[in-house]
Amino acid sequence: MILTVAWVVPLLGAIALAAFSRWSETRARQWAAAVAVLSLLALVVAWVGFDPAGPLFQHVDELRWVPSIGVAYRVGVDGIALAVATMSALVFVAAIVYPVDTLGQPRQYYAWMLFLQAMSLGVFLALDMLLFYVFFDLTLVGMFFLIGRWGHGTPQVSALKFFLYTFAGSLLLLLAIIGLYLSIKPHSFDMRVLIERQPLAGTGLYAGLVFLALMLGFAIKTPLVPLHTWLPQAHVDAPGPASAILAGVLLKMGTYGMIRLPFAMMQETFAEYSLVVGIAALIAILYGALVALGQSNLKRRIAYTSINHMGYTVLGIAVAAALFSDNLAARQMALTGATVEMVAHGLITGALFLICGSFWQRTGEYELDHYGGLAHQAPLLTGFTVLAAFASLGMPGLAGFVAEFQVFAGTFAVYPWLAVLGVLGILITAALFLDMLRRLFFGRLPSHLGQFAELKRAEWGVLGVLSLGILVIGVYPRFLLTLIEASNALLLGGR
Amino acid sequence: MLWTLALFPLLGAILLYLAGRRLGRFGLTLAAALVLLMTLVLTGLAITSGWQGSVAWSETLTLTLKLSAAGSVFALTILLVALPIVVYAGYHEVGLRDDYRTVTAQGIRLIALLVAFVGAMQLLVLANDFLTLLIAWELVGACSWSLISHKWGQKEVPQAAAQAFLVTRFGDLGLYIAAAAVFAGSGGFGYADLAALDGGLLSVAVAGILLAAAAKSAQLPFSSWLFAAMAGPVPVSALLHSATMVAAGIYLLARLQPTLSAVDWFAPLVIAIGLATALVGGVVGIFQNHAKKLLAASTSAQYGLMWVAVGAGFPGVALLHFVAHAFLKAGLFLSAGLAERQTGSYQLQDMRQGRRLPGIALATFLMSLALAGMIPLGAAWSKEQIAAAAGQQGAWLALLVALAGGLSALYASRFQLLAYGRRSHPARSILSYAPPPFRAESGAVLLMAGMTMLLSLVWWPDVQVWLSETLSISLPENSAWELIVSLVLVLLGIAVGFVMTRRQHRASVWQERVANWFGLLTVIQTIARGAVVLGHLLARFDDRVVDAGLRGTARLAQWLARRGARQGEVFAEGVPGVMTRLSEWGGYWARQAQSGQTHHYYAGISLGLVVIFAILLIGALL
Repeated sequence: MILTVAWVVPLLGAIALAAFSRWSETRARQWAAAVAVLSLLALVVAWVGFDPAGPLFQHVDELRWVPSIGVAYRVGVDGIALAVATMSALVFVAAIVYPVDTLGQPRQYYAWMLFLQAMSLGVFLALDMLLFYVFFDLTLVGMFFLIGRWGHGTPQVSALKFFLYTFAGSLLLLLAIIGLYLSIKPHSFDMRVLIERQPLAGTGLYAGLVFLALMLGFAIKTPLVPLHTWLPQAHVDAPGPASAILAGVLLKMGTYGMIRLPFAMMQETFAEYSLVVGIAALIAILYGALVALGQSNLKRRIAYTSINHMGYTVLGIAVAAALFSDNLAARQMALTGATVEMVAHGLITGALFLICGSFWQRTGEYELDHYGGLAHQAPLLTGFTVLAAFASLGMPGLAGFVAEFQVFAGTFAVYPWLAVLGVLGILITAALFLDMLRRLFFGRLPSHLGQFAELKRAEWGVLGVLSLGILVIGVYPRFLLTLIEASNALLLGGR
Repeated sequence: MLWTLALFPLLGAILLYLAGRRLGRFGLTLAAALVLLMTLVLTGLAITSGWQGSVAWSETLTLTLKLSAAGSVFALTILLVALPIVVYAGYHEVGLRDDYRTVTAQGIRLIALLVAFVGAMQLLVLANDFLTLLIAWELVGACSWSLISHKWGQKEVPQAAAQAFLVTRFGDLGLYIAAAAVFAGSGGFGYADLAALDGGLLSVAVAGILLAAAAKSAQLPFSSWLFAAMAGPVPVSALLHSATMVAAGIYLLARLQPTLSAVDWFAPLVIAIGLATALVGGVVGIFQNHAKKLLAASTSAQYGLMWVAVGAGFPGVALLHFVAHAFLKAGLFLSAGLAERQTGSYQLQDMRQGRRLPGIALATFLMSLALAGMIPLGAAWSKEQIAAAAGQQGAWLALLVALAGGLSALYASRFQLLAYGRRSHPARSILSYAPPPFRAESGAVLLMAGMTMLLSLVWWPDVQVWLSETLSISLPENSAWELIVSLVLVLLGIAVGFVMTRRQHRASVWQERVANWFGLLTVIQTIARGAVVLGHLLARFDDRVVDAGLRGTARLAQWLARRGARQGEVFAEGVPGVMTRLSEWGGYWARQAQSGQTHHYYAGISLGLVVIFAILLIGALL
């Protein structure tokens, strides 16, 4: 029940916001925040109740829906899903609480936010492929309206581009899901059955095509180079909190999907192509970092670092999929690293995009050259940005390191060259973040920034919570690693 | 329990940062000093009672701490060096707010970061596995970045800090790979697991460790980041060069030397890198006119000598030279800071503070002599030990080490004569109104000089025996001729130094280049600029080419839609239209047949019969 509560509560909250048309901005915001926190609490309860020694999927709810075609309402989580879902709920709370200009339509804004939260959590909690697909597509709708209605610059164009591009990916995904569905007798959309039976093992071309469709669909969402160009534009024009969700939550659906569907259900096929996927990930790592270094727009720069970081995740997944390697510990470590990277990137990039939102609210400008010397004027903003930037460049003691270290250690044991080239990514990210910090906060304060205001309490409160999460995972990630490793062992057959 | 050694200063730094604004200069300095003193006490306790520490992140990732002999020496040295430096910093760098009682935010940050820097370094020398080491290794780098960018308001300072961070982080990548190689080969990350490796993986791990150590220790070809690091305040330089950051490289090599030397190319490579850095760094120091940069070049060179000792198989000797060097180099930096305060510049030609600060000049003289390798100071003994260690590999190596020693004598005497020489015409002081140094500042310098003096005890054979027993290190046999050659070269160096400082001449272009690591700085900057340019090119490529595919698809769809709207619709509309007209025509024709005249019908019937027969006939024939 607890998982159903986690995603239904925000949906009901959204409906309530849509229905009560007299609510003021403050009221709407408080309501949305309370609902989001409730959903987060439900997931925390699920986490506490999760037994690492238990079966792969826990807290399972199942309800007959369309038995004739094998569709049912099925939700349940393994450690990976639970970790990512909880992180997502936290990012949603942060994004909702973070102050933003709702352009006179607060109710609608918060309703769409809650709707998006419900759908996003649904993606991570679903155990039925059709349900997964429905949630996966509905998140696009929510994000489409958030960007299109509350964005800036050319929001309509960006929203449309985002929607159409990722929708094209969804269609491939639908085809692949049908392909998986048909491969099993009796036909079923139940993920647990598919994971257990591995129906496509040894079916050659058919399996290859299904795998390709799945991976292309998820690669667009992740996104992997060269399927990424929808991302920077959507980010630049989206309002700060929506960007935080886009990067923090929506991108994870790509990599989470990779783990849940192709990785878990088609182990043999994935193993065959793991090197190809690994190379694609390496390209994303290096290309994303270099292009980010070449950006002079704050938000675009951070958007491209997302491509770099999601590359680490995909690299970890690819390594974990390399069945032929007898180094089980390394594969497990790579998968753990990939999952931690998802959580870490969600928190870190979420924080960074919220910070971008604060910059926009103050000046309406993302160009790095517009800024400078703010360290004295806004020490709190500087502090949080430095922390998030260092977390993003993989500084130990912060969350990103725990992820990237494990990804590299695991990768080296299986594909040494990918690891050796991949570590260059953290050098380039270091360069681009130090350059960003220098251009934003150091040097002389330009005269037009004399009125630049320090963070408000709501802002630093939210950033403080996210930073605390980043710090805790970085210093003592045991609670997270135990959860993830329990599922990894089962997925990889180590237990 | 062992964690307290690192956590105490780290948490203390946070507390200092939070509570610092209420304190005055004395209070802040005292609090910081107390944190370090407490850590010193804890370290003493840890050494005597054999503390351990380990924290499990997960089943495979466990952070472990252990006090090794080298680690203990380092931990104690770090604290003993840091203590006077922090006190000095409290008075030299920390400014007061407008109320003249509480200290400025920048000052608090500096002190807190210095203490945190010590904590991170403590963690580094206590680490017993590569994961913990890597954590500390990168934290030390981050601390030094934030310390170097202390004066972030000046345009070039953050750039220099970034340069220092990036060059050392490039080395850190080696440690990532080394840790990964150890894991791939053994399934663990412990130092002990390194010994279990063999073949290719061991080579990879050793190469990674060497890369990391060379970058941190400012060995060739990474030496020039130390010059960028000079953008930081004096206490930062003093700490960074003596006991933290730069020391990390040699610590790691000394700690792991027995395992590392299992690779047959390790010893020659380490000796080659160390010797090259010692000689080149010496030459750079000779031609450098910036007081701090001269000392920085000397740091590279001295660590190069320690590398030679490790390569020759005597990590214990490197350890002793590290201790001797730590005190004297920290003291020299602090004293350079005092001279700068008097003249407003680090240019050696402008200094000559001998008359102004006679006490400091004397203390500095002592430390300069130690840097020069003059008997009977401690650093001279450890340098002779390095020469002797190198001599075990071949006499020519010992000679080269002695030559590097001669170079250090040259730049040391140059530094002393220029910074604290006596001016022939005293009127040229730039800041004649500069106040004399605080007692805390001069005290710190005198303390360092005192420690340098105290270390002379190592010439006493009993002390040597005690050292080699407690630290269980082996010392090479000295030979008399090596000692004599060394001494001659040192005296020669000092003499040339005298001559060089007599002549005042402007630095020529080639001299400038030599003084900046023979253009190494430019090379590294070019690489960095290349990466940035590549980034810009790729960004443009991304916008124009990769995104063009998407835009092309959109345009194709639009074109198809327009085509459909025009030709497609015409076609689709036309087909049913033509069909209608055809059937209309057929109906009309059929109606024509219905004429009502009998002969028309008979003709029709007969025609039909003919057709039927024809069909039957064809059927029969086929």
